Amino acid sequence: MTPLLALRDLRVSFQTPRGAARAVDGIDLMLEAGQTLCIVGESGCGKSMTALSIMGLVPQPAGRVEGSIAFDGRELLGLAPRAWADLRGNRLAMIFQEPMTSLNPSHTVGRQLTEVLQRHRGLDGAAARAEVLETMRRVRIPAPERRFDEYPHRLSGGMRQRVMIAMALLCRPALLIADEPTTALDVTIQAQVLELMRALRADTGTAILLITHDLGVVAEMADRVAVMYAGQVVEEAPVDELFAAPEHPYTVGLLGAIPSIAAPRPRLAAIEGRVPAATDWPGGCRFAPRCPFADERCRSEAPALQAVRPGHRSRCWKAPLESLVAAEEACA
Amino acid sequence: MSAAAPAVLRAEGLVKRFEVGRGLFGRARGVVSAVDGVSLAVAPGQTLAVVGESGCGKSTLARLLLRLIEPDAGRIELDGQDLRALDERALLRARRQVQMVFQDPFGSLNPRMSAGDTLAEPLRLHAVVPASERATRVRRLLDQVGLPAEAAQRYPHEFSGGQRQRLAIARALAAGPKLLVCDEPVSALDVSIQAQILNLLADLQHELGLAYVFISHDLAVVRQVATEVAVMYLGRFVETGPASQVFARPRHPYTQALLGAVPVADPARRGTRVVLGGDVPSPLEPPPGCRFHTRCPHADERCRQEAPPLPAEAHAVACWHTQRIADLQGGASPEAPADGIAPDHARRQGRCAVLQRLQAAFERRAPTPSPAPSPSP
Repeated sequence: MTPLLALRDLRVSFQTPRGAARAVDGIDLMLEAGQTLCIVGESGCGKSMTALSIMGLVPQPAGRVEGSIAFDGRELLGLAPRAWADLRGNRLAMIFQEPMTSLNPSHTVGRQLTEVLQRHRGLDGAAARAEVLETMRRVRIPAPERRFDEYPHRLSGGMRQRVMIAMALLCRPALLIADEPTTALDVTIQAQVLELMRALRADTGTAILLITHDLGVVAEMADRVAVMYAGQVVEEAPVDELFAAPEHPYTVGLLGAIPSIAAPRPRLAAIEGRVPAATDWPGGCRFAPRCPFADERCRSEAPALQAVRPGHRSRCWKAPLESLVAAEEACA
Repeated sequence: MSAAAPAVLRAEGLVKRFEVGRGLFGRARGVVSAVDGVSLAVAPGQTLAVVGESGCGKSTLARLLLRLIEPDAGRIELDGQDLRALDERALLRARRQVQMVFQDPFGSLNPRMSAGDTLAEPLRLHAVVPASERATRVRRLLDQVGLPAEAAQRYPHEFSGGQRQRLAIARALAAGPKLLVCDEPVSALDVSIQAQILNLLADLQHELGLAYVFISHDLAVVRQVATEVAVMYLGRFVETGPASQVFARPRHPYTQALLGAVPVADPARRGTRVVLGGDVPSPLEPPPGCRFHTRCPHADERCRQEAPPLPAEAHAVACWHTQRIADLQGGASPEAPADGIAPDHARRQGRCAVLQRLQAAFERRAPTPSPAPSPSP
């Protein structure tokens, strides 16, 4: 079976005064229909640029996108702008962190939603209105008849994000890309939106590519997880495995750095230093300068993303990491 | 809230209202009661965390505690001294004792002042040390927050976000305070940097016996830092108490909903949540009675009319139905983790031990000072 989405050696770069910034630097990822893949990482790791490249929204002409993006078995790179536009909001939909930037402030919610149906499905008038109201009800917008004629600024942040999800759903997309969809929301509202996304996936079978920095959201939503660092995927695994037995030191550090709501940790794992700049990725393993396990080989030779176990890949010379603990015990 | 040691800071019945939408002829179109009768106390070496969602008034409360904005009513005592009775000179002296750390250090640091000058200014203003010793003290402050000595020559834009927050903390420490009021100090930072700053705050508290008032929306961060917790909703504290008790046995329906809403970084526990419906009502028209009644599954007629008081107890809850809710939940711990079947459990435990050993490697490396950064673009 061909996957719904396959990224092969995806690269996104920008020319800057400091040289080429390789924001995304060779991503290989696959997403099956109906599944949720989370891409997790810190600012500047390239996760949002990966999402934008799939939507054909990398800023042009500054950004250069290379490699391959196969969606539904069809290559998207090199597609004419018109063909991209037809795909977007149709088979492919995206929601962003700040819905206000993607809603038109001078049109009513209802008009913006019906426009999607006109543009992509040729639906008009009463039929379009009925379907929009039905979808608003499905994303649990209270009193949809009243909200239909309101402007976006009258809605709360959570309500706006529901409108965006409703818009994404109207065209029954095969893939929904959500870039930090709940980051700007309060925690009780975040819980509502996440529950809504889960329910919609169950109802419609839409696959979700969820971009987030929040490992709690990952644990709630993902089937599979890709951890990105410095423009590359450093680990990819089923969600249970990633949390129970991570195979990349960066993932280990991230999991140790988050405070737990169950009990305070004596000390949080602090990954020292900072994420390098995209114009200046370190040679060898890009995480080596911050890694407590790095040795000479790590600093000079770049490891490849390789299977540690079936379905679990890591970009680390030391994987499987269990051997590190064994070595430590032998020393002690 | 009880505290064994005498409180560094105590506030009683703080009230702050803002008039909004003042029109052309100066008539206010509405009044937001941002803080509505809040009392608190913090003891030396302790952290009181104030947690709540946006618009609950927690940032206004932080500013009231320093008299950065004037309360409409209430009393603030610093070391037993009434802060509101002080004239400007005395207030300046008192401010040495209480300093603030903001969410966005870029907004609170002067972009035209080098790190060294930024730190020397409070030393001069409060006459902390003689002029001849200022340079030495600046170096010590930088060292205390894990910045290299040469950082003194750099300007705020030359630091990374985490380093800027370190500098802001150093500036707060310069005057030699007993209390830091931290308003979302790690919210703008990536998780690995957030951990560095939280560890730093813990170390400083330990070394200097500082008290913290820690304002945050992030419950996991609060769990990590707090000794005492106050949960705030629409201008009022709805539950206060020792952090261990409030997190293990939350009694107010809002606290329960808030804790239930946090996504837990453990896939084995997914989908066990109870999701609270509705939005936070506008603080312009707060609901009468208990302000949470519009979203509360237990609300009845009394809740809609009478505001429940917060009793003076160690673990206090402002709710008319605490007992009924406790009976309903029948002592069943909603926090009990759902473990898998036995063999899987054993395998998980084994893996968990490996993961903890691996994470310990990061903790061991932590105290080394961070390397000099390349200037950010």
